[in-house]
Amino acid sequence: MIELNHVSKSYNKGKVKAVDDLTLTIKSGEIFGFLGPNGAGKTTTIKLIVGLLRPDSGTIAVEGLDTEKQSLEAKAITTYVPDYPNVYERLTGLEYLNFIGDVYGVPKAERLDRIGKWLELFELSQAVMNPIQSYSHGMKQKIVLAAALLPAPRVMVLDEPLVGLDPRAAHSLKELMREHCDQGKTLFFSTHIMEVAEKLCDRIGIIDKGRLVACGTMEELKSLDRTQESLETIFLDLTEK
Amino acid sequence: MKRLLTLIRAGLRSNFGLSILRYRLFVEKKDRWLVPLIGFAAIGVLPSIYGLILLVQNIYLALKPLGQERALLTFGVMAGQLFIFLFGLYYVISAFYFSRDLEFLIPLPLKPFEVMASKFAVVTINEYLTVMIIVLPVLAGYGVLARGGPAYWVNAVLVYLFLPVIPLAVVSILVVTMMRVVNFSRKKDALILVGTVLLVALGMSLQFLLGRTGRGGLDARAMTGFFTSPDSLLNIVGSRFPPSIWATKAIAGGFSASGLANLALFVGTSLALFAAILALSEKLFYRGLVGLAEVSGRRRSLTRAQMSQRVSSGRHAVRAIFVREWRIMNRTPIFLLNGTLVVLIVPAVFVLMARAGSGRGDAGSILKAMSSANPLIVILASAVFMVLCGSLNGTSSSAFSREGRQFWISRVVPVTAREQVAAKFLHSYLVSLLGTITASVVAAWLLHLNVAQLAAAAGLSLVAGVFLTSVGMMIDLARPLLDWTNPQKAIKQNLNVLLAMCADIGILTVLFFAVRFAVKAGASAGTVLVLLYAVLAALSGLGYSALVKFAEKRYREIEA
Repeated sequence: MIELNHVSKSYNKGKVKAVDDLTLTIKSGEIFGFLGPNGAGKTTTIKLIVGLLRPDSGTIAVEGLDTEKQSLEAKAITTYVPDYPNVYERLTGLEYLNFIGDVYGVPKAERLDRIGKWLELFELSQAVMNPIQSYSHGMKQKIVLAAALLPAPRVMVLDEPLVGLDPRAAHSLKELMREHCDQGKTLFFSTHIMEVAEKLCDRIGIIDKGRLVACGTMEELKSLDRTQESLETIFLDLTEK
Repeated sequence: MKRLLTLIRAGLRSNFGLSILRYRLFVEKKDRWLVPLIGFAAIGVLPSIYGLILLVQNIYLALKPLGQERALLTFGVMAGQLFIFLFGLYYVISAFYFSRDLEFLIPLPLKPFEVMASKFAVVTINEYLTVMIIVLPVLAGYGVLARGGPAYWVNAVLVYLFLPVIPLAVVSILVVTMMRVVNFSRKKDALILVGTVLLVALGMSLQFLLGRTGRGGLDARAMTGFFTSPDSLLNIVGSRFPPSIWATKAIAGGFSASGLANLALFVGTSLALFAAILALSEKLFYRGLVGLAEVSGRRRSLTRAQMSQRVSSGRHAVRAIFVREWRIMNRTPIFLLNGTLVVLIVPAVFVLMARAGSGRGDAGSILKAMSSANPLIVILASAVFMVLCGSLNGTSSSAFSREGRQFWISRVVPVTAREQVAAKFLHSYLVSLLGTITASVVAAWLLHLNVAQLAAAAGLSLVAGVFLTSVGMMIDLARPLLDWTNPQKAIKQNLNVLLAMCADIGILTVLFFAVRFAVKAGASAGTVLVLLYAVLAALSGLGYSALVKFAEKRYREIEA
């Protein structure tokens, strides 16, 4: 479960409000899709949840753990995939996975099983001994995803995880996301792909200019719009300038 | 030409971060605290500059009665150019081949020589700043003492402006040729390292050769001539490196025919070499550059047994982070050259300077004579040498900056700031320890230290190392440079590295005055040593705990 309670964050000494009084609860076992135009506050919200940014006001809790006061405990059960796969290019794929396994304290037997499984799924088995520097953008994205899955976290926070993935990997990831939440775990992700959000998410939130303008299941969002059209139309209506 | 000037201007702006600095100082108003800090750092190095000016004055006054004072200028110019030759290698390799802006420049409709010229300009301006501390006290000191007229100052400025060109052009020719060969190979990183070390060795051999010439020239026959010609020492010193003689005669000769002719020779040679490197760049530069960043890996799957062997069985977080630091540092050529290798190269440079600059065993016999009067001096001098070799590298003061855009990983993993800092401290301290060990070997050999003296000096250096490493890390943590696009910027052009060096020199200066005060107050050598150990141990303890506290605060604040 992720709870954001009246969270605000601004930049440039309060001149630019990136997130404005955001209150949101994502329940356990739920895939939550976060939509919004460029610069609406999606990445800022995600960075606030994983502790990369500190809120100016409000509180955030992951599985009941306050991300400020119990940050270490919250981090131990959360993993994050950023919008751009900036990883240690001078390490090999396996060294990076080992590093993540070490800092999250994943036991060897489980580590071995999971690494084998994710590498095969993302078709990285043959590249895992090479430096990440030699990977394509998509492969880097895959190694970051494999690393985020390795600790089997209670909560996963993903910032546009499908960007750069080939169709097969994107399909596998979507299945994995469903599988993750079917185990009662939580998944929060941002995307610009309406079809994915529509088909995959249990609930969807739409953010515009830092404020949550809509939140609910697909049916609930459709009921907001009398035309009962697609998510794309609802999104365009809600975020109109 | 206009295009070239635009390119140079853009290169300077990007290299020195002028636009970002202006934004941070005047728009975000974030880095304003840097202004007084840089002021303090400058004040910290003032005693060293004052010491250098005194040295220049003493040498001038010693040489003047012999009519050899112009050799001072030769020494200054030659030292500056050799320094540029030796350390310019790093600048040239990283500016020409590892700046990320090259990725944008290559596809633009620019000629290779234009890109090369803009990079050369950036490196040259860097070198003005680097050798300022060596050359300016000599030029200014001589000018004041010899009452140089306007012609002296005009020529001195011109010589200073052209000073880096000859050594940098020679380095560039070597580097461009080397990189053309490197780009053939799959093991590019390894070849770059080997090539750079070889070039450094070549530079040091050159220095050795020049030093030997200076010493070897002073035989009985030369001594006779020494007193008969006012420029004999100048000619001996500069015999293997004529540009230093031209520069000296140009500066000292002013607007006389000899002065102007030598100036023309110095400037003309610089321009000719610059033209040569531009011509060479048309043929070789892009061939060495394009495809350099490509890294190919063999594709092979691991069996379950092989995978089991390679999957770690759970290292402690501190160890895991230490291993990460170690691997990234040693696998990034720019980091390795400016961090780990510096602590090996600097003592070697000292060996060559000592062996080349004075008679066999001279330094040792002088110190031996001094130590018989006060044994404390030899221990402290050795300790300072070890501290300088161990701590004056950018490892600790770039510990956080080196993570760059990957710093988000350190922020999201469930590892306390205390543990992360401990791992980084261990890594930086290990590099410093390596420097202390190398310097100990050099000191023991050059200064003929006995075991007790060596142990006392190394002990002091090791304790001081804890404090200086903590200070370096704190400086970097206060303002980590995380948005770099060229690894060079994280370590070599990182202001934090310069600030930490100034802080280290400032701390050593304060300690020097404290020791001098204690000695003047009549404290025995033993008492001074015990006091020094106690003060350094206390500073180290305080420094490390301050670092941990500061990290706990900063790891929450730094927005990645």
